Amino acid sequence: MESKMGLEIHCQLTGAKSKLFCRCSCDYRGKAPNANTCPTCSGLPGTLPLLNQKAVEFAGMISLALGCKVPDEIAFYRKNYFYPDLPKNFQLTQYNAYGITSIGFEGKLEYGDGKSARIRRVQLEEDPGRLVYEGGSMETSVYALIDYNRAGVPLVEIVTEPDFTDPKDVRMFLDKITSIIEHLGVCDTKLEGSVRCDANVSVGGGNRAEIKNVSSFADVEKAVRYEITRQRTMASRDIEVRSETRHWDDARKVTKESRTKEEEQDYRYFPEPDIPVVVLGSEFVSSIRQSMPELPDARKDRFVSKYGLSAHVAQVLIDNKELADFFESAIKIYSSPKEIANWIVTDLMSFVDERQKEQVRSLFAGLKIGPEHIADLAKLVDHDTINRATAKQILSQIVRTGEMPSHVARKTQAGKIDDAGALAQAIESVFKAEQAAVQDAKHNPNAANFLLGKVMQLTKGRADPKTALEMIQKKLMED
Amino acid sequence: MVTKEEVKHLGWLARIELSDTELKRYTSQIEEIIKYLDKLDTIPLEQFKPIVAKKKFADLRSDEPAGFEGDALGTKYRKDGFVKGPRMV
Amino acid sequence: MALYTLGAGHVAAGIKSREFSAEEYVCQLLERIEKVEPKVNAFVTVSKEALERARAIDKMIRDGEQTGPLAGVAVSIKDNICTKGIRTTCASKMLELYVPPYDATVVKRLQDAGAIVIGKANLDEFAMGSTTEFSRHGTTRNPWDISRVPGGSSGGSAASVAALECTISLGSDTGGSVRCPASFCSAVGLKPTYGLISRYGLVSYANSLEQIGPVGRTVSDVVSALNAIAGTDENDHTTAGGKPAYSLQERKGLRVGLVKEFIEGADLAVAKVINKAVDTLAGQGCRCEEASLASVQYALPSYYTIATAEASSNLARYDNVRYGFDLSPEGYEWNSYFAKARSNFGEEVKRRIIVGSYVLSSGYYGKYYLKAQQVRSLLKRELKALFKKYDVLIGPTMPILPFKIGEKVDNPLKMYLVDIDTVVANLAGMPAMSVPAGFADGLPVGLQIMADEFQEQTMLVAAHLFEQAAKMQRSPEL
Ligand SMILES: [Mg+2]
Ligand SMILES: [Zn+2]
Repeated sequence: MESKMGLEIHCQLTGAKSKLFCRCSCDYRGKAPNANTCPTCSGLPGTLPLLNQKAVEFAGMISLALGCKVPDEIAFYRKNYFYPDLPKNFQLTQYNAYGITSIGFEGKLEYGDGKSARIRRVQLEEDPGRLVYEGGSMETSVYALIDYNRAGVPLVEIVTEPDFTDPKDVRMFLDKITSIIEHLGVCDTKLEGSVRCDANVSVGGGNRAEIKNVSSFADVEKAVRYEITRQRTMASRDIEVRSETRHWDDARKVTKESRTKEEEQDYRYFPEPDIPVVVLGSEFVSSIRQSMPELPDARKDRFVSKYGLSAHVAQVLIDNKELADFFESAIKIYSSPKEIANWIVTDLMSFVDERQKEQVRSLFAGLKIGPEHIADLAKLVDHDTINRATAKQILSQIVRTGEMPSHVARKTQAGKIDDAGALAQAIESVFKAEQAAVQDAKHNPNAANFLLGKVMQLTKGRADPKTALEMIQKKLMED
Repeated sequence: MVTKEEVKHLGWLARIELSDTELKRYTSQIEEIIKYLDKLDTIPLEQFKPIVAKKKFADLRSDEPAGFEGDALGTKYRKDGFVKGPRMV
Repeated sequence: MALYTLGAGHVAAGIKSREFSAEEYVCQLLERIEKVEPKVNAFVTVSKEALERARAIDKMIRDGEQTGPLAGVAVSIKDNICTKGIRTTCASKMLELYVPPYDATVVKRLQDAGAIVIGKANLDEFAMGSTTEFSRHGTTRNPWDISRVPGGSSGGSAASVAALECTISLGSDTGGSVRCPASFCSAVGLKPTYGLISRYGLVSYANSLEQIGPVGRTVSDVVSALNAIAGTDENDHTTAGGKPAYSLQERKGLRVGLVKEFIEGADLAVAKVINKAVDTLAGQGCRCEEASLASVQYALPSYYTIATAEASSNLARYDNVRYGFDLSPEGYEWNSYFAKARSNFGEEVKRRIIVGSYVLSSGYYGKYYLKAQQVRSLLKRELKALFKKYDVLIGPTMPILPFKIGEKVDNPLKMYLVDIDTVVANLAGMPAMSVPAGFADGLPVGLQIMADEFQEQTMLVAAHLFEQAAKMQRSPEL
């Protein structure tokens, strides 16, 4: 039974300074409840929406980055429904039923392994306020506490066609979206609640369930998997899957039936009379195209062509803007792109704390590491000051201490014994102590490795094994 | 024809409680009003595009934040800065 | 002569020249209000700060400070226009305790010009009505005959002006709500071109139709108010650019079209007065002829579709959570709380919300709302063609005389029909005003003058010309 999935992704335009329709700040996090409000975003009688130019520009950028067409004119609609977090009891959004009025439409985005998904539309809309339940849960609280600080923060909603068949692809697609909006600088995806996703899922051509409230991209794959299993199980028992809205229970990691609010046919959409149709004009697209920062795909190509990275390594770097930025900062300090890229992708990534990464939404959360460290490390290796094994050891140390690699190398005198005399001396004393092994080694090449081990032990690993082995073999022949 | 069920549903969508007598009265009054509005449907208007007000992108509000001095919320039902609302379930 | 009978120009000049003080003038008005309010009931709230403001203006003048063109002039403000610190109820239980934390742009501009807000004027709840009977604060009565309605929904505005309780008033006009009561109360009321005056702070009833408009006893007073408040506002995306200044100029040979459909639909008594007004204009050198506005028959259904649709959405915000009246949310499930609170809307408001929800319902949008919008462009096109031939179009403002209180209150559709002549200007976004034309059976009749978009100056020229020639009595004995 084939499953089909489509996504509705909401990203807050945290890159904007003011809300979508009023001058309140977008930066509501950490503020006292309702301190970030004005008559307009609290829905006071007599107030009027004043559309933020920057938000339109950002939404235009996202549309272009997702391969969407951008119309000459856009309009806003009212979506009418009651909910306690909605100050006006309607949401100002965009709508395409009576001609195209949303900022982006008919797009297509390629993601991993040459797969692609069609983008139905990109629309600009306002975020509602936030409800806090006294006692922690919706079910048990006697009243809700409402904070309008978030109300009116600009959101871009990206709606895909139901083009996904594998939950893994959903994850890859979301990673790509994340990377794009991060690269555009329109949304800081690390901020709590800045990206949210709804997913609709159907199995075997059956009814479609819509999963709401998935507040972390990482959980979308899980939610979708759970829902596919649920629907398959139902189908296998000949129970019809209902067309319904389900909630993602973040704590228990299951989807739950949720009480229906208004249905789509009850929203009574109509054009917002207080916002005239916005004429973007022909220059809009060309001017934002010009001002748009480099997108992940272009960046990847540049990493391959300019720095000689492999396609795979470049991909890993750009999949996460934080990583790509880290790389570019490091090579500015010390220009050895391949060496640095390898250190980042293969070694540094193994220290990433997955749990912290999800919580703090930063790759290197909890690690005391910056581009300057990796640049320093690469330089030490490049200049043969330390060998690779030592470098790895140092890395595992400094991610916790934040010390500079060169400093650690000096302090522990980890500098390689590059003095041939000192190495010869060490070999000399091993030969004296291990005479039986020396004799053995003259006939058995494997025994030479034993001698090398002893030399390394004696030099506390500071010897270059290659040089040491060469010298051992030479001495065996001489003796 | 406007039915009682329709008016009841519209009342729910508008979150307006309607008593049985209100429902009866409204249904007949609204039926009469809607019949009058039906006149709109008798004229062929396909060639007329609705009037739309327009505004240039360049004339939109520039993205400069400003705080509001004063209390935008009038209710006395508050707790720790939050507004107290009814329970959700 | 009592100070409260003076026009705005005289008041400001008298105060500035210290012929009398703003305090004396406001005191007289407050006394007048106390005397006539029991009969008229034009106010929802009388301002406690008016006297203080008057003293402040007197002090500014004594200190030689600059004061605006409306220095000391007392204005009443329809109670659906936000006044910072003065409750703004929309004549509804739903906003019983609402005190706006900000001033509407028009209020700010009037005050910047030196005007004093003397009180908040009564209206039909949320401006929905044509009689000011649908008010939580009781019916406003027509100063010319207190058994009759003053018109609406800005009934308090027109009545307070006619009853000499203030010098100027601001109303709002969604489908005739300034012009209708101006006509019924023998005052001058103007609805400007859509976008001429900021709606920031006007509690929305039907956003795409309504404009704030001044009411005064003379064209001159209306011009003073208009000059103070008109012009672009960065807080309202729908305002047009620029800041116009109007004057009482003269112009010869105005081309006047009498709208046939309007006069034909009017009661005989009204038609007679209007025909006489046509003669008066002709006597002043205007070229008058009959003009036809055929699609006027679709105006009312179009108006009520759009107005109720927009209203149903605009009024959704009144859920009593952030502001409203005292009803603790504790213990209620949210849907039942909302429904309980919102059942406190008045009859007419509830009716319009449901009609509006109906016409926006899925499947009906194309049949009603979209069609109604198309009618607007049809009307506009027809009017534009007429304004190539005529400088102004005229007709009765109201097809009937002020009627008895309670007469139409039980038949909503019948009530809607009285707006037939006024809604056209709102649908087309064009300016229109009502000037006193005369009396029939001792009751006022208003002459409606319409002009093309942003041609307020031409309209005012015609109104002034007529006013000078007709010399109508402006305020009744009370
Ligand atoms: Mg949305
Ligand atoms: Zn705000």
